[in-house]
Amino acid sequence: MNAVSNALWNPIVAKEYRTRMRTWRSPFAITVYILLLGGLGWAAFSLIVASTSQAFGAGSGSNYGQLLFTFLIIFQVALLGFITPALTAGAISGERERQTIDLLFVTPISPFSIIWGKLLASMSFVILLLVLSIPIFSLVFLFGGIELDQVVYAFAVTGATALTLGFIGIAFSTLFRRTLPATVAAYGAAFVLFVGFFAYGYVFPTEADPSVTIAPAPPAVTLISPVVPLLAIASNQPIQGYGIRYKDGSQGPYLNKGVPAQAGFCAPTVSGGVTCSPAVYQFTSATGTTLPSGLFAGWQYWQASILMQLLICAVALLVSALVLPPARRFRPWRRDAPAPAAA
Amino acid sequence: MIAVEQLTKVYGNRSALDHVSFEVPEREIFGFVGPNGAGKTTTLRILAALLEPTGGKAFIDGADVTKQRERVHMRIGYMPDFFGVYDQLTVGEYLDFYAACYRQSKRRRQKIVEDLLALVGMIDRKHQLVDTLSRGLKQRVCLARALVHDPAVLLLDEPASGLDPRARVEMREILKELQGMGKTIVISSHILPELTDLCTMIGIIDRGRMRATGPVREVIAGLATGRRLRINVIGEKDAAIEILTPLESIRHVESVNGAIEAEYVGDERAAADILFALTGAGIRVSSFTPVDGGLEDAFLKATSEEVG
Repeated sequence: MNAVSNALWNPIVAKEYRTRMRTWRSPFAITVYILLLGGLGWAAFSLIVASTSQAFGAGSGSNYGQLLFTFLIIFQVALLGFITPALTAGAISGERERQTIDLLFVTPISPFSIIWGKLLASMSFVILLLVLSIPIFSLVFLFGGIELDQVVYAFAVTGATALTLGFIGIAFSTLFRRTLPATVAAYGAAFVLFVGFFAYGYVFPTEADPSVTIAPAPPAVTLISPVVPLLAIASNQPIQGYGIRYKDGSQGPYLNKGVPAQAGFCAPTVSGGVTCSPAVYQFTSATGTTLPSGLFAGWQYWQASILMQLLICAVALLVSALVLPPARRFRPWRRDAPAPAAA
Repeated sequence: MIAVEQLTKVYGNRSALDHVSFEVPEREIFGFVGPNGAGKTTTLRILAALLEPTGGKAFIDGADVTKQRERVHMRIGYMPDFFGVYDQLTVGEYLDFYAACYRQSKRRRQKIVEDLLALVGMIDRKHQLVDTLSRGLKQRVCLARALVHDPAVLLLDEPASGLDPRARVEMREILKELQGMGKTIVISSHILPELTDLCTMIGIIDRGRMRATGPVREVIAGLATGRRLRINVIGEKDAAIEILTPLESIRHVESVNGAIEAEYVGDERAAADILFALTGAGIRVSSFTPVDGGLEDAFLKATSEEVG
């Protein structure tokens, strides 16, 4: 068996598929998911139409589409925030509780294979949910205002978030011996991922100096929260009034700050020197979903978000691989010592 | 086939194993006996390369359990003292899953599952969910699971615990069949008589220390100290006690419910000498009976004494 087939060989995945889909829980979860997403889509659409009609007499179809997409994509990622920890937080601790983990450890399956087998099985279910939601999202195209690439990017961010929550869930599942604390910790981590990093942008925004010449961007860590890139993708522009604080005390929206409020000028002083007043906010205003400055300058919001989430995945995987082996030594890929020479 | 050398395991400041050593040659059935908490499961888990020993070494067919885990795992079939079963899997799928874990091809897996189910007498249960089986049947499935890769060594932790007498007999028959197939078997239990007619070798462990190890008969003979006799005499009970008390083999004599109970050291020859001393002194002995459960009592006594 070569190295590639050895790495891909994983009977846990097939076993997980079998046991997961045989219970009533999976079809029930799928049904509830679709009903909630479809119900919210319908409710959001009704509300948008009602409010827009009252305000302006007639609404624009593209605005409906964009708003509906925003509601759906945020609600979908929030739903996955509830579902994914439940899928993965019991993956390893459940094996411990069922007392089947030792039976796996005595087989040639490496701890690393156990982790990715469990993760792949859980993520397959998440992918199934995402695929099942496509018909609901396709309604958005009836109204326009959303391009296909926006949907693709939004689904990529949503998938990355689910993957991150999956990895975190598995890591807590290996760290805690029991499923209950692992689940609580995984939900706590999901809350920090969604709300914590998003709130960071409000509490510790980027301080925009009047002398800067490029548009400021929210702190990089805020992009770990899927909310920031998803809102940017849906509206096709940075989130208004988020993540940046101006020296005049206002917090954005920085699009409006792109126009110089006051031109810089230099004037001679009494002592014969020259003093210059800086221009205020003389940067080109940021448009689109490209980050204008900061750690990920030139990147798309979704690209930066996915990269950082993948880094979290890597850390969680490392923790899982370190903790899971029964003898608690770092040998997740289980390399044997060479066989002793024949006597 | 199995060599354990000065194995030590310490949890915090508690010593679970204290320099345990024993050897099990090929094709032997080694009974590992001791009270609960004596260190049986710890030893078996170390042998199964699931636990790192604090000190000492253990080898399975020449493979070091701490350094050559995969080689060890391919040589052992491990059956823990609990039922590790998944919901929603049939007996056939359960065995097929573990056979796949040992990298058996799909075609070969089908034959393995059929053969193992025939071995444990469960061919008609192939499509039943494992979770719905009785305890005895689950034990048999777990034993079959330990055999999916045809290991040379079987490590069975309390395989008969919680089974009804019929299931125990059936389990014993299966183990004898496995011995006939050339397997080396280590089987743990906290009940000595359960193993004496099945095992060829025995090791007695108590509080982390090996008290005795070797062929069954030798170990039992060594344990046979402090056996009890119940003696009934016609009249002259006090005279009989006076005769018994100074005898060298007698440890303790007392009168219990009209009979004399004497604790003695030694084998059948010592018992015969005691009877001869009584009858030789003119005492009319009406019955002379070893107290039932003497072997178990001796074992319990041996494992309850403070290890010196």
